[in-house]
Amino acid sequence: MKNFQTLRFLDLFRRLFESFGINYTVMRKILAVKLTMDGRRTPTIFNQQGKKKKKPEENGFIKSLGMYVFISLFLIPVVIFGKNYLFQMSIFFGIVMFMVMTSMISDFSNVLLDIKDKGILQTKPVDKKTISVAKTVHISIYLFFLTAAISGVPIIAGTFKHGIFFLVLALLSLILVNLFIVVVTALIYFFILRYFDGEKLKDIINYVQIGLSVSIAIGYQILGRAFSFVDMNITFSPSWWQFFIPPIWFGAPFELFLSHNTSVYLVIFSLLALIVPVIATLVYIRMMPSFERNLQKLTNNSGKSKRKDRKWKSWLTSVICRSNEEKIFFRFADNMMRNEREFRLKVYPALGLSLVFPFVFMFNAIQMNSYAHMVSSKWYLAIYFSSLMIPNAITMLKYSGKYKGAWIYKTAPIQNLAPVYSAVLKVFIVNLFLPVYLILSMIFVGIFGIKIIDDLLVVFVTAILYTVICSNYLKGTLPFSESFEDAQQSGGLKVLLASLCIVVFTGIHFAVTFIPYGVTIYLVLVLVITIFAWKLAYKTVWNYKNNEMEY
Amino acid sequence: MVIEEVVLCLRDLKKNYGTKNVLRGIDLTVHRGQIIGYIGPNGAGKSTTIKILLGLEGDYSGKVEIFGEEVTEKNIDYKRKIGYVPEIAELYDNLTAMEYLTFIGELYGLDLQEADEKAQRLMKVFGLEEVYHSRIASYSKGMRQKVLIISSLLHNPDLLFLDEPLSGLDANSVMVFKEILAVLAAQGKTIFYSSHIMDVVEKISNRIILINDGKIVADGSFNELKEQNKEGTLEQIFNQLTGFNEYKALAEEFVAIVQEV
Repeated sequence: MKNFQTLRFLDLFRRLFESFGINYTVMRKILAVKLTMDGRRTPTIFNQQGKKKKKPEENGFIKSLGMYVFISLFLIPVVIFGKNYLFQMSIFFGIVMFMVMTSMISDFSNVLLDIKDKGILQTKPVDKKTISVAKTVHISIYLFFLTAAISGVPIIAGTFKHGIFFLVLALLSLILVNLFIVVVTALIYFFILRYFDGEKLKDIINYVQIGLSVSIAIGYQILGRAFSFVDMNITFSPSWWQFFIPPIWFGAPFELFLSHNTSVYLVIFSLLALIVPVIATLVYIRMMPSFERNLQKLTNNSGKSKRKDRKWKSWLTSVICRSNEEKIFFRFADNMMRNEREFRLKVYPALGLSLVFPFVFMFNAIQMNSYAHMVSSKWYLAIYFSSLMIPNAITMLKYSGKYKGAWIYKTAPIQNLAPVYSAVLKVFIVNLFLPVYLILSMIFVGIFGIKIIDDLLVVFVTAILYTVICSNYLKGTLPFSESFEDAQQSGGLKVLLASLCIVVFTGIHFAVTFIPYGVTIYLVLVLVITIFAWKLAYKTVWNYKNNEMEY
Repeated sequence: MVIEEVVLCLRDLKKNYGTKNVLRGIDLTVHRGQIIGYIGPNGAGKSTTIKILLGLEGDYSGKVEIFGEEVTEKNIDYKRKIGYVPEIAELYDNLTAMEYLTFIGELYGLDLQEADEKAQRLMKVFGLEEVYHSRIASYSKGMRQKVLIISSLLHNPDLLFLDEPLSGLDANSVMVFKEILAVLAAQGKTIFYSSHIMDVVEKISNRIILINDGKIVADGSFNELKEQNKEGTLEQIFNQLTGFNEYKALAEEFVAIVQEV
């Protein structure tokens, strides 16, 4: 095991830990193990049988930090242009909180909700205090790197611009922000854990994770709107509801101390920024033991489950699936996608965002012109933005938390795998895309009127075509057959290329709206192309003999 | 003194999850050098007892003493003398066997070199020296089980809790392991063996405790149980004491359903 730099740094505080009665040597060992594990992706058994080249040991987390540093470059202007601290720093903290919290929920929930630790560590002569401190330090290390990556460069730039006192304030606020995030996340989990148990609980956590990711993203949109852009000097009108937006609390001290603006609101906001995280932490520490106890509920399963009879689903299956094999896999994929939490966690937030995205762009349009102007325009094409989730969601189809179950493909008597792919993609369209599309369509018809129905149909058919195009990402892999841990974040470029596709589709659609009957003709054309593409893909891209497939 | 050393002592141990009573008053005294076969149907409370003994579960009533000391949250030192093989092979499988075993050894207070050397030699005995530096995630079920067994014995414990320790092991390894247990017991180690495989329990235990529905329903050596219950095998005694006698009918029904195609 490597000797981690981080741990060497931690050694400086050895005395401090020991004065709290913590067995530092043991804690350090636990941390070393945890860090080693974080740095590894589980090699899947399939991989070891020589499918891919062996990846050199790399820390996925450290790599992803690079991405955060890149994003942070966009924060530099937010921090250094102008002296409207409250506005700028609220935006800054809003983004930092958004990034840290989403990363925390999506990647680090397993640390907060770990139950393996109990069986492995608590049966050994290690006291509980040391274990929980090790856990806390582990999370802190992670948060430290994450926060440093996101805010480091902008804060340094800001320090050059605004002076050393800015640095002090920024560091202090960031510590408080992190405390706030960890505690809020843990407390939310705690309350859910308290009232529910077993599978139900995992489901709820799953939905909260999803809901949180979506709502933070939406909240971040609201933050931008908390200020009116009426004139170039951004004005800020304090009102009661801003008390509920934490980034504004953390932005307030900058205005208070650097601009010497001593409004009552600012003082209260600054106090909130200081007091809330501290109180929350104290509450959390008191609740920690009962949190741990409730955590055990994750393992036991009581209560009967009943199966809902889904008549319309079976009707739909018989309508849209041709062969018997396709029907079987349609039902299978339907169950997998609905039930697998890990899958939902990776995909549903994107669905939520694609529901919101079109409106974000439309709001900007309204801000530039008027609502009436937008309604009469072609902004309804913004619905194409909802298709942006397709490439990402499709790449996810090949992963599963229980990927090892994929041996059934091999042992089952199936000849050709094409029905598997087409069934999975159909489920994707019906279960994931269709709901988003229908909701958006209803709202859009409400806004723009019945006249856009043609266009909406085009959008739907295009989405199917787009799905077929994106199904190339599945090439060579069976659905639900790989570990999520192998999901690479570097899929970014591919997804970006695919997103360009949507821009092209939108462009064509926009162009045909200028031709009389253009949309109707285009609809027929797209429909024909889509049917053709589906059949073609069935014969080529998805057409594997089962025994040709490498595992 | 001739009095046998008491290793483990439970007095009126009760535990409930909400309204469900899992343990309804367990009284048990275990002496040094015994191999206890701890058996019972699913959900009878076997794992809960073991978890309480290891300090994994709190909120119980009654008295739990190990090596003469009461088990409390604060008292962790008794765990130094305990080894544990859990029922579900939970381990940090992103680590290599070397990393995992030295880590566990160090937690028990061995130093790194000592743990490493010992682990490597034990792995070699089990025929796993070649994968010592591979990740546990790539191991077969039997290999993982061997790692778990080694991790429970590295620190030379006086009391062993084994929950289904043979799962996944091949017949030869089972023989080796059974022999290991016999030798350990002869040297005065106490073994608490929990399993569903009655034949093994029958052969290796010198005292069998059967629990059903949170209570001890039988306690004694195999021969004693046989005399009391007039049945030939432990399996039959188990069926009788847990009130299960419809296995034939159920099996026939099962096969009948399989054959309807």
